[in-house]
Amino acid sequence: MFKYQFRWDTVWGSFDFLMGGLQMTLIISAITLVLAMLGGLIIALLDMSRFRILRWIGISIGEVVRNTPILVQLLWVYYVLPIVFGVRIEALVALIIGLALYQASFISEVYRSGIQSVPKGHREAAQVLGLTPFQSFNRIVLPQAIRMTLPPLASNFVQLIKFSSLGAVISVSEITRRGMELSATNFRPLETFTFIAVVYFFICWPLAMAIRFWERRLQAR
Amino acid sequence: MSISSPLILADGVSKKFGANQVLTRVTLEVLERDVVCVVGPSGSGKTTLLRCLALLEEPSEGRVVMEGVPISTPSPSKQVKAAARDVRSEIGMVFQHFNLWPHMSVLQNLIEAPMRVKKMPRDQAVAIAEGLLNKVDLSDKRDAYPARLSGGQQQRVAIARALAMNPKVLLFDEATSALDPELRREVLAVMRQLAREGMTMLVVTHEMGFARHVGTRTVFMDRGEIVEAAPGSAFFDAPQTERARRFLQQFEDE
Repeated sequence: MFKYQFRWDTVWGSFDFLMGGLQMTLIISAITLVLAMLGGLIIALLDMSRFRILRWIGISIGEVVRNTPILVQLLWVYYVLPIVFGVRIEALVALIIGLALYQASFISEVYRSGIQSVPKGHREAAQVLGLTPFQSFNRIVLPQAIRMTLPPLASNFVQLIKFSSLGAVISVSEITRRGMELSATNFRPLETFTFIAVVYFFICWPLAMAIRFWERRLQAR
Repeated sequence: MSISSPLILADGVSKKFGANQVLTRVTLEVLERDVVCVVGPSGSGKTTLLRCLALLEEPSEGRVVMEGVPISTPSPSKQVKAAARDVRSEIGMVFQHFNLWPHMSVLQNLIEAPMRVKKMPRDQAVAIAEGLLNKVDLSDKRDAYPARLSGGQQQRVAIARALAMNPKVLLFDEATSALDPELRREVLAVMRQLAREGMTMLVVTHEMGFARHVGTRTVFMDRGEIVEAAPGSAFFDAPQTERARRFLQQFEDE
């Protein structure tokens, strides 16, 4: 039988400590998303470049990052980059760099499919009317592509909230790490990690639902 | 340039996609106020010919000439490219699938090119757009988005958008093919009105009634070649070739 005396007070007693970690989690996710959006743009531009060498670089980055585990990448950034470049990287910085690179490789695909979602005919109509390729991209393709990429970008934010928990491994003081520290002192892993899981769920789930609703509305247009 | 040079001319235009020869040395001239209707079975190269004239495709052979000036050739020279840029917006095109920009209202669709390409002040562009919307009987849809319009309404907006650049020639690529029969009529009515006003038009179509009664000349294409060309309704009354007769037979029930 499951005879367990719940001691939720051990969690409530450290509520502020854990919420501080949550704040950290959200800040990391937000900063990383912005960097990943920029990185994704750079990778997408490399992928579409006229020069073969740049295309090759862009595609290689994407393939390597997508086909190795995120945890290994984080460990690599945290432990190997300092050896290679001889600089100490703070755990928080390593986490943000690692996560941003990882998400950038996916976001570059989001951009690409956003641009490809705009029918060729829209560009041809612009071309026939005399708009330059730049005007056509700027005025016709980009506004439509951005609309298509916003929901996937929001999904990436949800993913980042979850992936940032990996920061615990390199001792970044986000909510999962703080949970580990707390359970090591209160010896109450069940309450602690259950609480943390619930916190993640009630942040990610509503966001995911909202994004699904948003996507459906875009599709209906 | 001489007064007799055609407004737009396909001069021995061939087009290959890979090994697939879609057009074979097609020569077709459109004079001012002509309404040339291009008919023929699907896959006969009609649309490709139109796209070459609209400068959306580069010919593999031959050239496109506007008012005596070459504007499209295989691997065009700087001169040809510059000439193309100059006349680009004088060749309007109406697409089978309308291709309105869905993120812009009807009015925005109409003023975008005049403002960006001709650098027209907004007030003037809006005034022109409103006049054109009135002409295609859609004044009340000025601020609507394309998704809210029927196919027939969208195509009329697309025609107005092309007219907003005041083109010298208007190319229609099966402009009614994507529409239900009852919506075709309203689009055909606008096209007929344009023809009456003296607009120079090149119309790729399956609407034999339009070709017969509105067209000044009918061109019959098959397998990438022009098989027959005849003024007015002559093509329909007395087709010269077996291929044309067989093609026209399909429409006899209509």
